[in-house]
Amino acid sequence: MMQCIFLLSDSGEVMLEKQLTGHRVDRSICAWFWEQSIAQGDSFKFLCRVADVLSDYLGGLNEDLIKDNFVIVYELLDEMIDNGFPLTTEPNILREMIAPPNIVSKMLSVVTGTSSNVSNTLPVATASCVPWRKMDPKNTSNEVYVDLVEEMDAIISRDGTLVKCEIYGEVQVNSHLSGLPDLTLSFANASILNDVRFHPCVRLRPWESQQILSFVPPDGQFKLMSYRVKKLKNIPIYVKPQLSSDSGMCRISVLVGIKNDPRKPIDSITVEFQLPPCVLSANLTPNHGTVNILASKVLMFFDHTCSWSIGRLPKDKAPSLSGTLVLAAGLERLPVFPTFQVGFRVMGIALSGLQMDKLDFKNLPSRPYKGFRGLTRAGEYQVRS
Amino acid sequence: MFTQFGATAESLSKASTMVFRIGTDAHLYDDPDDVNIAPLLDSKFDSEKCEALKRLLALIAQGFDVSNFFPQVVKNVASQSIEVKKLVYLYLLHYAEKRPNEALLSINYFQKDLGDTNPLVRAWALRTMAGIRLHVIAPLVLVAVSKCARDPSVYVRKCAANALPKVHDLRLEENTAAIEELVGFLLNDNSPGVIGAAAAAFASVCPTNLSLIGRNYRRLCETLPDVEEWGQIVLIGILLRYAIARHGLVKESIMLSSRDLENIASENGASDTYQKGNEDSNAYFGLKESNADLTNGVCKSEVVDIVSRSYLEGPDKYLSKHRCADVLSSELEGLHFTSAKDNEDIKILLLCTSPLLWSHNSAVVLAAAGVHWIMAPKEDIQKIVKPLLFLMRSSNSSKYVVLCNIQVFSKAVPSLFAPHFEDFFMSPSDSYQVKALKLEILSTIATESSISSIFQEFQDYVKDPDRKFAADTVAAIGLCAQQFPKVANTCLEGLLALASHESTYGDNAATDGEAIVLLQAIYSIKAIIGKDPSSNEKVIVHLIRSLESIRVPAARGMIIWMVGEYSDIGNVIPKVLPVVLKYLARCFTVEEVETKLQILNACGKVLLHSKEEELWAYRKVLSYMLDLARCDLNYDIRDRARFIKELLSCYIGSSDTEEGKAQQESRDVSRVLAGRIFGGQIKAPSSEQFSARFYLPGSLSHVVLHAAPGYEPLPRPCSLNFEDPSINSNIVEGAKRPGDGATQSESYTDDPDSVSGSLNEESTSDYSYADSIGGSDGTGGSNVSSSLSEVDVHKEPLIHLSEVGYPNANPDGGSHVDNQYSGSNNLGELISTRSLESWLDENPNSGHNLSEPSSIRKSSARISIGHIHGRVEPKICALLDPANGNGLSVDYAFSSELSSLSPLLVCLQVSFKNCSTEPMMNLQLVEDNKRQDSSDHASAMTESSSHGDVPSLVPMEEIANLGPSETINIMLQVRFRHHLLPLKLVLWCNGKTYPVKLRPDIGYFVRPLPMDIGVFSAKEAQLPGMFEYTRRCIFTDHIGELKKGDKPGTNDQFLVICECLAVKVLSNANFFLVSVDMPVSANLDDASGLRLRFSGELLSNSVPCLVTLVLEGTCFEPLNILVKVNCEETVFGLNLLNRIVNLLAEPARG
Repeated sequence: MMQCIFLLSDSGEVMLEKQLTGHRVDRSICAWFWEQSIAQGDSFKFLCRVADVLSDYLGGLNEDLIKDNFVIVYELLDEMIDNGFPLTTEPNILREMIAPPNIVSKMLSVVTGTSSNVSNTLPVATASCVPWRKMDPKNTSNEVYVDLVEEMDAIISRDGTLVKCEIYGEVQVNSHLSGLPDLTLSFANASILNDVRFHPCVRLRPWESQQILSFVPPDGQFKLMSYRVKKLKNIPIYVKPQLSSDSGMCRISVLVGIKNDPRKPIDSITVEFQLPPCVLSANLTPNHGTVNILASKVLMFFDHTCSWSIGRLPKDKAPSLSGTLVLAAGLERLPVFPTFQVGFRVMGIALSGLQMDKLDFKNLPSRPYKGFRGLTRAGEYQVRS
Repeated sequence: MFTQFGATAESLSKASTMVFRIGTDAHLYDDPDDVNIAPLLDSKFDSEKCEALKRLLALIAQGFDVSNFFPQVVKNVASQSIEVKKLVYLYLLHYAEKRPNEALLSINYFQKDLGDTNPLVRAWALRTMAGIRLHVIAPLVLVAVSKCARDPSVYVRKCAANALPKVHDLRLEENTAAIEELVGFLLNDNSPGVIGAAAAAFASVCPTNLSLIGRNYRRLCETLPDVEEWGQIVLIGILLRYAIARHGLVKESIMLSSRDLENIASENGASDTYQKGNEDSNAYFGLKESNADLTNGVCKSEVVDIVSRSYLEGPDKYLSKHRCADVLSSELEGLHFTSAKDNEDIKILLLCTSPLLWSHNSAVVLAAAGVHWIMAPKEDIQKIVKPLLFLMRSSNSSKYVVLCNIQVFSKAVPSLFAPHFEDFFMSPSDSYQVKALKLEILSTIATESSISSIFQEFQDYVKDPDRKFAADTVAAIGLCAQQFPKVANTCLEGLLALASHESTYGDNAATDGEAIVLLQAIYSIKAIIGKDPSSNEKVIVHLIRSLESIRVPAARGMIIWMVGEYSDIGNVIPKVLPVVLKYLARCFTVEEVETKLQILNACGKVLLHSKEEELWAYRKVLSYMLDLARCDLNYDIRDRARFIKELLSCYIGSSDTEEGKAQQESRDVSRVLAGRIFGGQIKAPSSEQFSARFYLPGSLSHVVLHAAPGYEPLPRPCSLNFEDPSINSNIVEGAKRPGDGATQSESYTDDPDSVSGSLNEESTSDYSYADSIGGSDGTGGSNVSSSLSEVDVHKEPLIHLSEVGYPNANPDGGSHVDNQYSGSNNLGELISTRSLESWLDENPNSGHNLSEPSSIRKSSARISIGHIHGRVEPKICALLDPANGNGLSVDYAFSSELSSLSPLLVCLQVSFKNCSTEPMMNLQLVEDNKRQDSSDHASAMTESSSHGDVPSLVPMEEIANLGPSETINIMLQVRFRHHLLPLKLVLWCNGKTYPVKLRPDIGYFVRPLPMDIGVFSAKEAQLPGMFEYTRRCIFTDHIGELKKGDKPGTNDQFLVICECLAVKVLSNANFFLVSVDMPVSANLDDASGLRLRFSGELLSNSVPCLVTLVLEGTCFEPLNILVKVNCEETVFGLNLLNRIVNLLAEPARG
C-alpha cells in the first residue's frame, strides 16, 4: 500500500504530487530520498509499471513531457491507484478511459478550444475475462508479427576464458487482428528454454502439459514471453584487451574480431570501458571507428567513460585501439582494471538457437499474414582485463 | 549572408518548440495564475471551467495551497461534463479533509451520481465520496458501498471493494462489523477483478478474520490465476495465512525439517557462527554442518529452525525470547502438523500458486515462491529456484529485493542454489548493495566442486575499481577458505600476495580504499590462521616481515596481535621474537594509539609465555615500553601501561628483595589473573548466533530488516478452529443477509435503551413551546407487547430521582419524574432496517429482528427538567469591536423568536452600545450591495429559489441617537443564504461605514417543533439509514457543575448532567426538548444510557429535524456522547451534526 506519489524533475524538484490515502505525506520527504537516492520496496514493481504506462502515453518520460500533459498524468494516476492500491493498470483499458495525447487532439484543442481526453463510457473490457484486449477491435490490416529479440549476456575473464554465457530473450508479438482470435505458437526446441515468464494472456495449462503457447493476444505490440537459455558455448565476437603499466604510464591495446561467425552481419559494435579514477589523461587512437571519452556524474562521482564505436567489422583488417593512460602522481602501476562492455547487434538470427515451429489461428475469418524475425543484441557482455 | 535572418535564428527555434508544444497543457503548468481563476470557475462553459480546474491542479502539483477556491469548485460537482467532474473530484480529494464543511455540500450530488446509468459516473462518485474521509459521512458511504457492492458493473463493484479500506481508515468502531461483512460479500463475487480488490480490502480491514476466507477458500484458490496481478500478490498472502491458521505447517516442508535433524542440531550446537559483522575473530562457518548436508543433502537445520520460528512469531518477539531463555526445545513441538500429501486444501494452494511462478510480475513470483518455500514438501521446493533466479534479470532494484530473499533461502538450504552459482557472478551494472548480497550468497552456497570457479571469479573482483567491494571480496575469500580447508593454502597465498601488493603503494598512494582492502586481507589471513595456527607458521613470519611496509595502523595492530598470540608456536617465531620486540620498542613512539595498545598487549603475552633464558631480555624491553607509555599523551595508553605493570609486576619486578608472605600471596593471585587475562583461550563471543532477522519472504520488512508498519507474522498454526459451531452459524447467517450488517451497526448504538414506546405524559414546563403538546400520547401498538415485560422490570430497584416539582413556574423547582418504567422495544430499529433494505432493493427480511432477545430491553425512567429555561442564555457574538468602531460596540445573539414576515428569516438580538464619550448619530445596518457571489451560488444548493424575493435583511429602523454608555437592543431579521458562509453587512454610524459580518449559526435555522416522545420515535423511524447521521464527542462541562454543586441538598447527579446538556444545546440551537430518559438499572455513578431528545423543523421548508444524545460513561468523568441527527436534508443534517458536536465538545463559557 502506498501513501503518495511524487514525480520529481531531473534536479530533484517536485513536479507533481498525488496523495493517495488519508495519511498525508509532506513533500519535503522527497528531498531526503533525493539525497539518499534509494528506491526500494514492495511497491517498486508498481512504480515501474506507472512509469511504463506514463512513458507509453507520453512517448517518453521527462520534465517537459510531464509539464505538457500534467492533467493527463493526474487523471492516469487517479485511475491507476485507488487508496494506495492499484486499480486499473492494463494499458489497453486505460487507453480507452483516458485518451493519450496525439496530434489530432492537440490540433482540435487549438482550433476549437474544447477537447476532452476523458472518455464518457466505461471500457467494456473492464468486465471481460480478457481485460488486456479491447472488445472487438477492427483492423484493416490482418497480420501478426512474431519477433525473437534476444540479449546475450557473457562474462569473459581476465585470461580469456568464457565464464558464463547465456541469452535472455523475449518473444515480442505485434498483432493486428480483428475480433477475438485464439493463437497457438509452438517451438521446435522448447526444451532448451531454461526459465520462462509469460504475459497474463498466456494460458498456463497447455504450457505445463505440452509446452505450447496458447493465447488471445492484446492488440498491437506486446511481450508475449521472456525466456532464458543458459550455458551457451559460442560467442560471436572476441575482445582482447591488454594493459601494461610502467613508471606512471599504462599502455593499452584492445583487439576486436569475429570468434564464431553467426553467418549474418554483425553491426553496431561498440566497446566501452570506464577509466579508473586514478587516470589523469588518456590518449587513445583506433585504426577503425571513433573513440569518445565522456564524463558523466553519477551520484557525486565523476565517471570517465571511454567508448569506441566500430560499427561493422572491416573486411581487410582487425580493428584495434591503442594508446597510453597517464596515471596519477605517485602511482607506478594501474591498481585496478576496467571491465570492457561490448555491444553488438546481429539481425535475422536468434543466437540461442530457439526455433519457432508454427503459429496456428482459431476464431479468425481469414488467414492473416504472418511474419517471423530474429534479432540478437549484446546484453551484459563484459570482458575483464 | 542574411544577417537579418540569422538574428532571428534563436527566436525561430524558440518558436518552433512553441509550435511543437502547442495544444498541450504546458502553459497552464508554467503560469497557472496568469488569469483570474475565480470567474472561470463560475463560467457557463465547460471548457472554461476545465481550464480553471486545470490551473488549480497545476498549482496543487507545484505545492501551492489553493483550498480557498473550495466553495467555487465544489459547486461544479454538479456539472454534466465528465471531464469537469473528474477534475473536480481530483481537487476535492486533495482538499476535502481541510475543508470538511464545504465538502459536505457535494454529498447530495454524489448520492445523485450513485444512481447514474453510467457505471463510470457511479464508480467515480463512490470513489470520491469514500475518499473525502469525513467522519460524518461514514454511514452514508457505508450504505453507498453496500449498494455498489451489488452493482451490475464489475468496475463499480471493484471500486466498492476499494472503498472499504477508506471507510475503515476512519476508525469508527461501530462500522467495523458492517465493513467486514461487506468484505466477505465481495470475496464471494464471481468476477476475478472484484476478488482481487476484495482481497486487498480484507488485508487492510480485517487480516485476522480468517473465517471469512474459510467460506470461499477453494474458490479463491481456483480463481487465483485469473485475478489481476496486484490482487494476486495480496490474495496469495491471505490464502497462505489461512492455510496455516487452519491446518498448520506441513510436516514434509523445509520449515519443519529441523525436527528430523534434531540430534544433529544439538550435536554441533554453536557451529553456526556466521556473522556479517567482522568483529568475531573466530567466525567459522559450520564445518560439521556441511557434513550434515552431505549425509542429508538438505539444509542447515539451525537456520531453518530460526527462520521458521521468526516467520511464526515475528523476529523481534523471537529474538527477545531467545535472549531470555534457551528455547531450543520449542513450543513448535506442541503445534499440529499436517501433510501436503493428504490435505486437499494445501494441495490446491500449492497447485494454484505454481503456475504463478511464471508470471511476468516479479512481486507475484516472489509471493508464490514464498508459499512454496513455507508450505511445499522439501522435494518440490526446487521449482522456485529458477523463477527466482530469472527475476534477477529485471530492474536493478527488484534484483536487490530478490537477492534479499534468496539470501535467506540459501542460508537455510544452501544446496538449493548451489548448482546455480554462476547466476550470482557480478555484472558491472550491479550496484554496490547488490554486489555485497551476491558475495554473501556465493560464500554461502559454495561447495567443494564449485569453489574453484568461485575463487577464479573472486580473484577478478579483487581488482575491481570499487575498493569497498574488493574488500568485501577479500572477506568472502576468508570465509570460504575457512569453510573449505583444502583451498585454504591457495587462499592464504593469494591474500599474502595481495597484502604485500597493497602495502607496496606506500604511504602516499594508500587511499582509504586501499586501506580497507589491506585491512580486510590481514583480517582474513588472521581468521584462516586462527583455525590452524601451527601449520601456518610461515605465514605469520611473512606477515611480521611485512610490518616494515604496512602502514595502516589497524592492520599493524592485527599483525602485532598475532605476534603476541602465537609467540610460542613453531620454531621460527621464538627465534625472531627478540628482534621483533626490539623493532616494536624502537618505533613505539611514532605508532598510532591502537597499534600502541596492541604492542603493549603483545609484549605482556610474550613475557607470560617466555622461557627463563629470554625472560630477562623481554622484561627489559617491556619495562622500557611501559616507561614510554606512562608518559604518553593518550590516557588510554597510560592506563594500559599502569594496568600491565601492576598485573605483571611479579614478572617485571626484581625477585631478589625480601618480601612478606602477604605479598607473596598477592603475587600468586596476579600471576593467575595475568594468565587468565592474557593467556586464556578466546571463545567466540557469539553466544547468540543470529543477529539476523528473518521476515516473511517478499515482504518489505524483509528488505529493510525491521518490521515495516503493517507487518504481521504468520498466524499461529491451527489457531482457526472450524469445528466451532458458532463460527459456522455466524457465517451462514452473515451470508444469507448481506448488507444487514450495515444497518445493524448503524443502529446498535441505541440498543442499551432503545426507543421507548411507553405511554408517557410529558409534563408541561415553563419552556416556552411546551404548552402546546399537553398530554397527547403517541403510543404505537408496540406498547402492548412491551407492557408484558413490565412485571419483572418493576422488580428492579427504583431510583427515586426527585420530588414532584412545580413545573409551570418555579425557577428552581427541580424536576418532575414520571416513574413510569417501560420496556422499550426495537420498533425503531426494525423499521429502519426494513426501509433501508427496501432502499437497497433487497427483499425485505421481515422476521429476523422480531426475535431479538428480551435482554436488550432495558427499562428507563423519564425525567423532565422544568426550570432550565431560565438558564438558557444564547451565545453572544461580537459584530463590531469598539476598537474598530470608534467606541461603538455591537453584539448580536441569535434569538429563539420566530419572524412574522417570512419563515426564511432568522431573528437576531442586536445590541448597540456606545462605549465612547461622544453621542452617536444615525446608526443603521444595511445590506452590503456588492455581495459575495460565493454566498449567491451556495444559496442555490441550500434553499429553493422560490424564496428569492426575500431580502437578506429586513430593513432596520435607524437609531437616531445613542448617548455615551447607552445601550439599545434591536431585533433584527436576517435571511442567511447559506448555513456556513457569513453575511456581509454595512454598519452606518455618524455617516461612516463599517463592513461587518454576521456569522450564521445553523442551530437557529430551525424552529422548535413540539412533539411528544411517541411522535418523535415515529418520525425517527421514518428517517433511517441515509437520513441518519451519527458522531461521537466528549462532554466535560458537567464535571465542573457537579463539583460546584457539592453542597448538601443538591440535585441528583443525573439531573445536573442532563441540565448541563440541555442548557448547552438550547443555548446554542433553537430546539424543543422532547424528553430526557435515563436507564433505571444503572448504577448510581453510571450515566450510560442517559438519553436526551430534541426536535425542531427547518425554517425554510419545515422539514423535521430530530436530535438524540446518548451518554456513556460515569458521572464524574468526561462523558462520551453519541449525537444522532435524523433529517431528510442531508447537507443540513450533517452540518447540524457537526455544529452540535462542536458545541458539546467545546468547554463551557466562563
